[in-house]
Amino acid sequence: MTAQMMKLEVRDELLAILREPAALFFSVLMPVLFYTMFIGIFGPGGATDASIIAPYGTFAVLAVVMLSPGIGLADARDRGWLRVKRVSGTPLWMTLLAKVIAAIPYALAVLVAMTVAAVLIGSMTVDVGVLLRVFAVLVLGALPFALFSLAVGARAGTTASSAILNAVLMPMVIASGLWFPLEIMPDWVASIGAVLPTYHLAELAMVQVEGGPWLGHLAVVGLTAVVGAVVAGVAYRSARP
Amino acid sequence: MTAVLEVNDLKHRFGDVEALVGVSLSVDEGEFVALLGPNGAGKTTLVRSVTGLIKPTSGAIFVAGGDPAKAGVRQRLGVVQQDVGFPRTLRVGEVVEGAAARAGAGPETAHRALHEMGLDTVRKRRASDLSGGQQQRLQLAMGLVADPVLLVLDEPTVGLDVAARRAFWQTLAERRRRGTGILLTTHIVEEAAAVADRVVVLDGGTIVAEGTPAELKRILPGRRISARTTAPIEAIRAVDEVVSALVEDDTLVVTAIHAEPVVRVLFELDRNLSDLEVTTPSLDEVLVELTSDKTEVAA
Repeated sequence: MTAQMMKLEVRDELLAILREPAALFFSVLMPVLFYTMFIGIFGPGGATDASIIAPYGTFAVLAVVMLSPGIGLADARDRGWLRVKRVSGTPLWMTLLAKVIAAIPYALAVLVAMTVAAVLIGSMTVDVGVLLRVFAVLVLGALPFALFSLAVGARAGTTASSAILNAVLMPMVIASGLWFPLEIMPDWVASIGAVLPTYHLAELAMVQVEGGPWLGHLAVVGLTAVVGAVVAGVAYRSARP
Repeated sequence: MTAVLEVNDLKHRFGDVEALVGVSLSVDEGEFVALLGPNGAGKTTLVRSVTGLIKPTSGAIFVAGGDPAKAGVRQRLGVVQQDVGFPRTLRVGEVVEGAAARAGAGPETAHRALHEMGLDTVRKRRASDLSGGQQQRLQLAMGLVADPVLLVLDEPTVGLDVAARRAFWQTLAERRRRGTGILLTTHIVEEAAAVADRVVVLDGGTIVAEGTPAELKRILPGRRISARTTAPIEAIRAVDEVVSALVEDDTLVVTAIHAEPVVRVLFELDRNLSDLEVTTPSLDEVLVELTSDKTEVAA
């Protein structure tokens, strides 16, 4: 029964993504367009491997994983649909987990689209093994951010959730050097970026391509997961049904 | 009769506000209980407690002998809630099939429920595109697929036209015959009086009256007598059993403990009176009398 319920929850969430063409456009095409534009302006920096997509890929995956579950949860709450799910006997944790699981193929689709764009415009050489490692790090490493997203969605309305999550994500993306190289940023921005989990997630992805120390980056991402779980737990407990 | 719902000494506080102050009630197998009261009486808090959406401060609730806080027990409930909007991305058939699967039933149960609620022709439409009345029926279809022991209906007929409302009550009557207990809140008091076995009046978080609709009507003693007449109002007011007498739009309206002495005097004073009517107080009037909010009768 639990497996059947989980399957249904995930199905509903995937349908929610597939049947919203506008959301698909902004979440999949926009990051690819950004990527194409920034590569056009700054160039690939001489790279011909998966390091081309590590920073932009981090942004694209975070845009999906941080926005989609929280805004979806807020929308379900605003509509009263969450109440319907709860009285139907669906445990709340299952509804929330389904939102996160459904974001994974969505995030992978963005990465694949970005890879195709990188191959077409950047003459990227595809090393399947490295690419799969980068994808795995980005998707799994982004999941702790979904906890923050759900925490916001559990407390704020749909419009407010979208505004809050974008207001948190965008400065983190810029300060972590995911759009523009940190080398061209003022030093104070780079120093902020160095403590942000988004920066460490991008670096962890970069390590899969270029090698180097990874434990510190992993520790920051792990700490993000712990803090995210605590924040989300507090938010769910005090959220209205 | 076995109780499908038992609520014992239920209390709930929201900060300093006592929403429920020791409410106890029960619904038996196949029994239809209507919950009435003004806004803020505690009906929504009670319904949300019964459906496991909120945890009461103290007291106990049993649905078919189990605690509705547990997901497995809630699967034995059918619920129609107020202010529910369906997701933009799910079709009618998918919504009901999903509800059936969550209750451990197959798609054929979902198809039966869709047919029962007259929704087969719209099963491929997006649920959010349905009219308000169709969405209410969709919620009931979702509630019925679990073959529930208890149906909890919170303002279920809002947005339904007369024909749909009639079909709705027929569906519920059929379910009652099969033993499903029903707990209803509604703003339409006379509707509750027509369909319920028992009416529970809630006010200020406490039960102020309980009984069959006929028993509740007897709470307000007296009759209302109206007629077009030339009889002088002072003479009517002088009759012993008259509580009040006034003229409204050329019609004399008298409230009295018993009708007969008033009618007798009216005929003595005016043999040509017309439009004579003697009525008992409506359940609406009883509710206004029973509850603290005299300006509004609401469920």
